Amino acid sequence: MDTSSPSVFVNGALMRRYVGQKVRTVIQVIGSDIGSVVGKSTDDLQIVVRGSSPTPPLTTYLEVIGIAESDNAIRAETWTNFGNSFGTHNYNELCKLANGEFKHLFI
Amino acid sequence: MFSSSQFEPNSAFSGGGFMSSQPSQAYESSSSTAKNREFQGLVPVTVKQITECFQTSGEKSGLVINGISLTNVSLVGLVCDKDVSKVTEVRFTLDDGTGRIDCKRWVNETFDAREMESVRDGTYVRVNGHLKTFQGKTQLLVFSVRPIMDFNEVTFHYIECIHFYSQNSESQGQQVGDVTQSVNTTFQGGSNTNQATPLNPVVSSQNNDGNGRKNLDDMILDYLKQPACTARQQGIHIDEIAQQLKVPKNKLEGVVQSLEGDGLIYSTIDEYHFKHVEL
Repeated sequence: MDTSSPSVFVNGALMRRYVGQKVRTVIQVIGSDIGSVVGKSTDDLQIVVRGSSPTPPLTTYLEVIGIAESDNAIRAETWTNFGNSFGTHNYNELCKLANGEFKHLFI
Repeated sequence: MFSSSQFEPNSAFSGGGFMSSQPSQAYESSSSTAKNREFQGLVPVTVKQITECFQTSGEKSGLVINGISLTNVSLVGLVCDKDVSKVTEVRFTLDDGTGRIDCKRWVNETFDAREMESVRDGTYVRVNGHLKTFQGKTQLLVFSVRPIMDFNEVTFHYIECIHFYSQNSESQGQQVGDVTQSVNTTFQGGSNTNQATPLNPVVSSQNNDGNGRKNLDDMILDYLKQPACTARQQGIHIDEIAQQLKVPKNKLEGVVQSLEGDGLIYSTIDEYHFKHVEL
């Protein structure tokens, strides 16, 4: 077992706490370009994801795991299509719990 | 349903299914002082929790979370380093974001082989298995690996971990209610504060002895014991209890009277408001 490099659940607002560290988040894809995807976080902030994006087609929701480069940009290592319907509100609440009262269960 | 007593709980997975099918056990162990109860359902956990358990409780005693020893666990995460070099087993590492754990799936039947074929590196899966420590290394012996189709299950899994954890926390008196509420809030999609939320009546599932009166006693007590109720200085009005428990008021009055007589609850600002006697 290895818990040395966890990826923290974040929404847009929580990203600034983890600049330089590994994070995971779900975005709603707004647009994609070569080498980057622009998306909306579960708390309605804009996030730019860099890195070689996964083989298209992208679904509406995309999970990204990677290093937070700034408070609104992630360098992605792992991309997962999360489908076209996803409960963003629940995910957003989970991010808050995972960084608040129950942080010790996660990181 | 299988009777779990047919199996040796540590080697076979007890047919008891998911935690939700055994809520009474979880509640019971949290409300009683019993420690180290065997919880034979499938418990949702994170890798971080497993690591911590082994650090604090040592390897011999197995997995103990909040004083409840767990046999089988359920995890959700990404598959990586899948290794099929051996004919009889498939090994892989599961990364759930909180940590990584080594997993092994014995391949005996064609069913096992087929299930493992659909699992590749980078696939999100739900894994159910049994924790084993062998030659100093902790491993998850997996008996089911299923790719996740609806990704709300990912969110759900972690919320379920939080729920199970807080339900069985040491200081549950406070926490159980709080968290059940915040989880409810999460699913209802509202952003409300504690006081205004209508409380879920805690329906006691422990007393299925057909004794209606006994049940109502417990229902009232459980309702009044909720943190949001104990926090209210003036107590809870009998009408509210009736409404929340969906029991006619006239039926309640007698029971409330006897509870008061037994010294389990007391009336507060007037004869209609009650509070639970904290011991």
